[in-house]
Amino acid sequence: MNAPYDNLNTGFTKTLLQISLKLEKILSFIGMIGAWCALPLIGIIIFDIISRRFFVLGSTKLQEMEWHLHAALFLLALGYAYLKNSHVRIEVIREGFSIKLKAILEIIGVLVFVLPYTGLIIWFGIEFASRSFALNEVSSALTGLSHRWIIKSFVPLGMTFLWLAGISVLLRNIVYLMAINKNDEDVTNVSRSMSPELHDPTEELVKAAKNKELI
Amino acid sequence: MDFVTLLPVFMFLSLALLLFSGYPVAFVLGGVGLGFGFLGMAFDVFNFIEFFNIISRIWGGVCENLILVAVPMFIFMGTMLERSGVANDLLNCLQVLLRRVPGGLALSVTIMGTIMAATTGIIGASVVMMTLLALPVMLERNYNPSLATGTISASGTLGILIPPSIMLVIMADLLSISVGTLFLAAIIPGLLLAVIYIIYIYIRTKMNPTLAPPLPDDMGPNTKIELWIMVFRSFVPPIFLIMCVLGSIFAGIATPTEAAAVGALGSIILALFNRRLSATVIKSVTQRSALTCAMIFGIFIGATAFSYVFRSLGGDDLIHHLVDSLGFGSWGVLFLMMGMCFLLGFFFDWVEITLIVLPLFAPILATLDFGTHLDPDMVIPWVAVLIAVNLQTSFLTPPFGFALFYLKGVAPPSIKIQMIYKGIIPFVILQLIGLIAIICFPELVLWLPTKLLD
Repeated sequence: MNAPYDNLNTGFTKTLLQISLKLEKILSFIGMIGAWCALPLIGIIIFDIISRRFFVLGSTKLQEMEWHLHAALFLLALGYAYLKNSHVRIEVIREGFSIKLKAILEIIGVLVFVLPYTGLIIWFGIEFASRSFALNEVSSALTGLSHRWIIKSFVPLGMTFLWLAGISVLLRNIVYLMAINKNDEDVTNVSRSMSPELHDPTEELVKAAKNKELI
Repeated sequence: MDFVTLLPVFMFLSLALLLFSGYPVAFVLGGVGLGFGFLGMAFDVFNFIEFFNIISRIWGGVCENLILVAVPMFIFMGTMLERSGVANDLLNCLQVLLRRVPGGLALSVTIMGTIMAATTGIIGASVVMMTLLALPVMLERNYNPSLATGTISASGTLGILIPPSIMLVIMADLLSISVGTLFLAAIIPGLLLAVIYIIYIYIRTKMNPTLAPPLPDDMGPNTKIELWIMVFRSFVPPIFLIMCVLGSIFAGIATPTEAAAVGALGSIILALFNRRLSATVIKSVTQRSALTCAMIFGIFIGATAFSYVFRSLGGDDLIHHLVDSLGFGSWGVLFLMMGMCFLLGFFFDWVEITLIVLPLFAPILATLDFGTHLDPDMVIPWVAVLIAVNLQTSFLTPPFGFALFYLKGVAPPSIKIQMIYKGIIPFVILQLIGLIAIICFPELVLWLPTKLLD
């Protein structure tokens, strides 16, 4: 499949869009890994319920595995959700904004909110996970899971993916602004089509609902 | 009071203001938390190392939490039921069953909203889903647009109240009460509202049949046997599934998390049964539910960061102080809180309101005392149900009504916002009747939990 920017010949903007899209692809892949955790999660809980009926093993390990998967699920999907514009916004005032203003606000938002906030959680999250590693932390329950550091590292990891998602959104919005300043219609259209956050929110909802093939 | 003691106030105001920029709520919460943490450092009331505690809070509150595992499971179940066409089939089946009843289509929509409450994750999405599903059919049958849109928005938002509702799971977690208790507490109020909607629609359409022309008699299957097959294929399975999920929680056989996973598995089996389970469906259901989970827990994480800094700057004491100095007493505090949630409900979905406001009010909730009006142990479930009904009302109240905007957004252009406003007013009145009933008769909420949990 062709990338949306393939026909563009402006070198610099093309590179920026390439990076943005590359990041999006990686993060989508990671987000889908998180998404698929839902299936083993269902399986493990069901197994826990059934097996408990027959032999009293103590299901501590299984139950700990359950919240491990739950944590992995949403932490891995945080960044992906930003790229898909699934994080809820208060649209009352924003829907009246021009697309240009939306793009400017998005850039400010990434710089002021996402990057510092995730950066801080990554910084302390690494310490959080490495303490656990250094202590060789295990479950506080006697029969729980060991290697607590693995799941604890998902906190800084998930936030790193969100940080990268922020970069990807930042780049595509910068390209969009550059393009409208230069009246470059091709780049404008391409970068806009790559940025769901610049689309009309209700239109997006209808599209999502229609994709469910109900109508 | 000097600037430093008022920092939490500024913090809350900045949050409110910045949220209206339309930047994702999850990130604004986190960013404002961080910013005021640094501001607090500048005034020596916050320590850099305290940010580390935020990670522990996130870990303990959101990740290492078996109760919240029910959330992804219920979301999965709802998305699967929707995506595999179970919801659609149910609506069709109800239409056929109720074709001779006045206002049959409107009644079908209400009943579907009640049964399919599980599919309601986010108000916007569920109202859009219901509108796309039901509005074109209703308009085609010459239903009065106001009645049609009113029914859809009221029934589409009912799901936040009727268990299994994700909102109730999160509320129970935040207020440290059992999910089972809260589910039980919400059942009678939820059904009460559904029943008064049904009575209203029935009487109104009986008195004025032009509002809702009856459906053609020959609609649906021709023979009795075919009709029964349809009922057994589309009506019985989803009801059976929801009953299993709720029943196993109430009977104490399964925890809410386990019941939710059973529901998720059941939804997969239903899809298989309907021959709609394909790799594409599974992929899109896992994807959609992961995005919804990320959205909810993103706000959860952001709200954790925000409320940690807010508390550390003395916000809790400030709220306590403020509430004390108002001298309202328990009833006054309750109405103050309800009023606040009502106003917030004009702009925010339940996710933001419960996650931002509830933690701030939770300590005060514990001190409320309504004397002999209700059992002191049951104050928190009662207040939680009140907040839920209150929020639903607020989503429906013109001119802001969150749900109404979504409905307008996807309705055909012939539907004017005035028609929607006109149609929703009776339902808002019904909501208020329900709300007042629950306030005056706490037994409506408390009877089931005390009866079943003793």
